[in-house]
Amino acid sequence: MATIWDAVEVKTPRQSSRETIHTVPSVARPGVSRRRRRLGPGPAIPFGLQIGPALLVLLWVTGSALGWIDPRILSAPWTVVEAFGRLIEQGRLQDNFVTSATRALLGLGIGLVIGTVLAVIAGLSRIGEALIDGPVQIKRAIPTLALIPLLILWFGIGEGMKVTTIALAVIIPIYIHTHNALRGIDSRYVELAETLGMSQKDFILQVVLPGALPGFLLGLRFAVTLCWVSLVVVEQINATSGLGYMIDLARNYGQTDVILVGLVVYVLLGLVSDGLVRLLERRVLSWRRTLAN
Amino acid sequence: MAPHASQLKSATKTVHVRNLVRRFAAKTILDGVDLDIEEGQFVALLGRSGSGKSTFLKALAGLDHDVEGTGTLDTPENLSVVFQDARLLPWRTVIQNVTLGLPGAAGQEAGRKALAEVGLEGREAAWPNQLSGGEQQRVALARSLVRQPSLLLADEPFGALDALTRLKMHDLLRELCARHRPAVLLVTHDVDEAISLADRILVLDEGRLIEDLRVDLPAPRDHGDPRFASIRTQLLSRLGVETPGRRAA
Repeated sequence: MATIWDAVEVKTPRQSSRETIHTVPSVARPGVSRRRRRLGPGPAIPFGLQIGPALLVLLWVTGSALGWIDPRILSAPWTVVEAFGRLIEQGRLQDNFVTSATRALLGLGIGLVIGTVLAVIAGLSRIGEALIDGPVQIKRAIPTLALIPLLILWFGIGEGMKVTTIALAVIIPIYIHTHNALRGIDSRYVELAETLGMSQKDFILQVVLPGALPGFLLGLRFAVTLCWVSLVVVEQINATSGLGYMIDLARNYGQTDVILVGLVVYVLLGLVSDGLVRLLERRVLSWRRTLAN
Repeated sequence: MAPHASQLKSATKTVHVRNLVRRFAAKTILDGVDLDIEEGQFVALLGRSGSGKSTFLKALAGLDHDVEGTGTLDTPENLSVVFQDARLLPWRTVIQNVTLGLPGAAGQEAGRKALAEVGLEGREAAWPNQLSGGEQQRVALARSLVRQPSLLLADEPFGALDALTRLKMHDLLRELCARHRPAVLLVTHDVDEAISLADRILVLDEGRLIEDLRVDLPAPRDHGDPRFASIRTQLLSRLGVETPGRRAA
């Protein structure tokens, strides 16, 4: 391969006459060829993605140990670990976690079903699209936070308001991506289904839904992230339990360690749920993996 | 005209087309096409690009939803289409693709048999992406076969395959048609493909059929046969291609 490459280089007209003198030996010795300057980023660094976070933690540890970081601004890592143990011992962390997770999952579940149903109706019929797509786009333009005062008036400050807020936030990415995927299904497959004389039910189950699944799963990833974000919002307003409430309370008492415990739990929840969706993606879309290898 | 036309349509006609016109906007794509295809007859349709071949095939398949047009069009209910791309659903396995829309265990059994017929026994559980282009097109053939069509419409089905695979596919198609005897309309731009497969060759030009030629060569058709070469020259000249002398050898 190298010799072929050399031979090609020999013929390039850009080579100066001084270099042509060396042409013959360079063909005879493979590997001495002049390489072009690389413009791409090059091969991946091992554990590259972990380096940045590890450096941040290192900075935090040394900063706290050497007294550079005021513990009132940011608690030391060991204080946070202690707070973690204390909160678990008291049972506060578990209780608040269960409350929060219930709200999030309930909102996510309801939003998921509504978003998917709306997307399928809008994707499969023109009338459905005319009725549904506009209102969803309008809802999309309203920040979820701005709806909260209205939702409080409608549902009070109890669980209903919180779950509704999360569900309303989740509907949007699910709808947008599923609808987009439905619209994007290759018309050639529709033609095929017609020539095979497939029933409407078979068409939806065999062609439409599996075809839209990649889009739905992408929407799901956004939805999961958004569901935690909305959870934080609703729990820091008018809540008396949950992780957000725990963090808000800690702010009142200046307990940065408790705040950090709450944030770490949020990080873990976000990463774990994203990982779960990706795992689901790999399993359900196994037909795609064959493209990669 | 109408009673006369219905008299012409005897029981052995699989396809009956009279004065078929299709228009896109102001442009007339099919300009009064008449065609009868008998049961089990293998017909090839040649034409330059833009001659209306695909429009005609789509009309026969009933896939031209928003196209303006008039004319009589009689096709059997159980017709099957093989497209230029294999058109397999990538998210369904090979056997699921073959049996799409067929109910129950009987469908499964028929699907397995059809796959065996095209030489893909044991690949039932594979994903379409794992197959080569030729294998994918064989799955598409099995998908058509399993429905036991009385009319098989094929739109340049081997156009995307390499030359060697194409020859193998010709043998397979010939064999399958001999066994199942559907009427076939094969749209192609490959004159040799048409001559080596078809009983009858049509040439479509500017929306009209300008040639209807019977091919009476014995079964394994030899490209070197002088009769083969003379048919080729004749067809090429109808297609507007001048051959440099007669290259029959």
